[in-house]
Amino acid sequence: MIEVNHLTKRYGKHTAVDDISFTVEDGCIYGLLGPNGAGKSTTMNIITGYLSATEGTVKIEGHDIAEDPAQAKACIGYLPEQPPLYQDMTVTEYLLFVAELKGVRKKAERRTAVEKVCAKAGLQGMEARLIRNLSKGYRQRVGIAAALLGSPKVIILDEPTVGLDPAQMIEIRSLIHDLGKSHTVILSSHILSEVQTVCDRVLIIANGKLVAQGTPEELAEKLAAKGSISATAQGSREAVLAAAKAIPGLTDLRVTAEKGGEVSFTAVSEAGTDLRGALSLALAKAGCPVLSLSAESMSLEDVFLQLTEKGEGEEEK
Amino acid sequence: MVAILKRETKAYYTGMIGYVTAAVSLFFLGLYYTSSNLIVASSDFAMVLYATTVILLFLLPAISMRSFAEERRNKTDQLLLTSPVSIPAIVLGKFLAEFIAFAAPTSVAVIMPLILKAFGSVSLVSAYSSLLCYLLLGAACLAIGTWISALTENQIIAYLATFGVLIVAYLMNSIQTLFTSGDALALVVFLVVLLIASILVGVVCKSLTSCCAVFCVGGIALGVLFVLRPTWLLSAFDSVLSALALFDPFNGVVGGMFSISAIVYYLSVIALFLFLTGQALERRRWN
Repeated sequence: MIEVNHLTKRYGKHTAVDDISFTVEDGCIYGLLGPNGAGKSTTMNIITGYLSATEGTVKIEGHDIAEDPAQAKACIGYLPEQPPLYQDMTVTEYLLFVAELKGVRKKAERRTAVEKVCAKAGLQGMEARLIRNLSKGYRQRVGIAAALLGSPKVIILDEPTVGLDPAQMIEIRSLIHDLGKSHTVILSSHILSEVQTVCDRVLIIANGKLVAQGTPEELAEKLAAKGSISATAQGSREAVLAAAKAIPGLTDLRVTAEKGGEVSFTAVSEAGTDLRGALSLALAKAGCPVLSLSAESMSLEDVFLQLTEKGEGEEEK
Repeated sequence: MVAILKRETKAYYTGMIGYVTAAVSLFFLGLYYTSSNLIVASSDFAMVLYATTVILLFLLPAISMRSFAEERRNKTDQLLLTSPVSIPAIVLGKFLAEFIAFAAPTSVAVIMPLILKAFGSVSLVSAYSSLLCYLLLGAACLAIGTWISALTENQIIAYLATFGVLIVAYLMNSIQTLFTSGDALALVVFLVVLLIASILVGVVCKSLTSCCAVFCVGGIALGVLFVLRPTWLLSAFDSVLSALALFDPFNGVVGGMFSISAIVYYLSVIALFLFLTGQALERRRWN
């Protein structure tokens, strides 16, 4: 379990992480989601003890990272944004070194541990290769294998799929999914679909602040209180829009397409109301036949955009 | 610590640096041994070591420059600093690996006095005490280089800065003779040092008042000292300079004056700079 309490990191006047608190329960995959520069890497670097926090505490399995760093770090396997690999070592040499660094005392134990993580990370056949000669995908795997050594309870992966091709991305994601069965995993990403498919719980960070957390469904639900309607009707643009505007509670009208006397548009309705009926009646009255009409709940993507944009807006004020 | 020591030592010999430094130091050791011991049939082995100290100025920065600068550039320091290994253990592991890279070729020097012994009487005590001091001198230079390497992520800058510092330390004896007279000069130099120190204080505290306050208090103290006890300033200045003469204790041992104070001096320099290295790493976590 990881407890993060009121974590703040300032660089001079710039605040990279602003009063973030959350708790990571055992046995789940957590996704740290946010646009570039939101403070994801800084947060992870503080949790793993690479950076120190300006304020706030991080406790890993009850060990404070600032006061009891050796114990706390022993509970964590960390893959930074750029895997920290020594180019002039072979995969096996590197992993044996990391195993020793993490306190696996006996040589035979180190050997078996390295064989195990190689199998887990899909590195078979690559053991004798120099790291400098590996492709980006395999380097990422070596980094993940290194994070797994010393059997840590928590695995922290910083943007594990960045720079990989789509096939490699899928492979790494399924690897993370497998890891989730035996470890607590925290991963960061700015790719929403990745977090949505892989993670059990999502923490959304924008401008150094934690703006929302919950399961992907919860988050979608929380903000889907506002319904959105998309419709297509026949008639002139003005007539269609005038009819839709007349309905109370329907806001944020946007024309998405206009072609051959057909107008498609989207609109947002107030919480808990279904305005499809009213809209269809109003359009019929105005002499604009409705061709299609559907209500949509907001996807996590919309939630994400709305939250992070709001954060940026606040910053400008 | 052992893991880092092993990896670093191996890294010196998977790359070129270990072999190049070994070749250069062995070449000069052999050269001076042949010319000043074998050819002229002299029994003074310490002179060989004395002659090769100039080579250390060029060699040792090459060994120490990569230690932390390279880690930082390749971001591999993230692995070390997030592993359950303490910062002193990291620094010590790296430093010992550097020392091995420097000392391994020098170990050939162990048999050199014995060869001389076969042909006549040689003071082995003097030969081996200077060898011990030579190794300590090298270790002190490496500790300085390690600290400088921890301050930058550019290996070339680390090399040049270490070389610069070592050469000033090497020439400190002659620099010192420039300042044997003139109390006013000592005052000016101390004032300049004080000015730099107070600017640093001002930058760290981000306030002009504290900078000025430090400078004023220090300046008044120096002025009073200058008026009342001018010789104090000069002798203080002189002893500061001689403390910076890193190669001096070794030269004394070569001259036949083995002293515990030389050993203590080198051990304290090593301890000080390794401590500063640890502080530099720690400080980086905060900025």
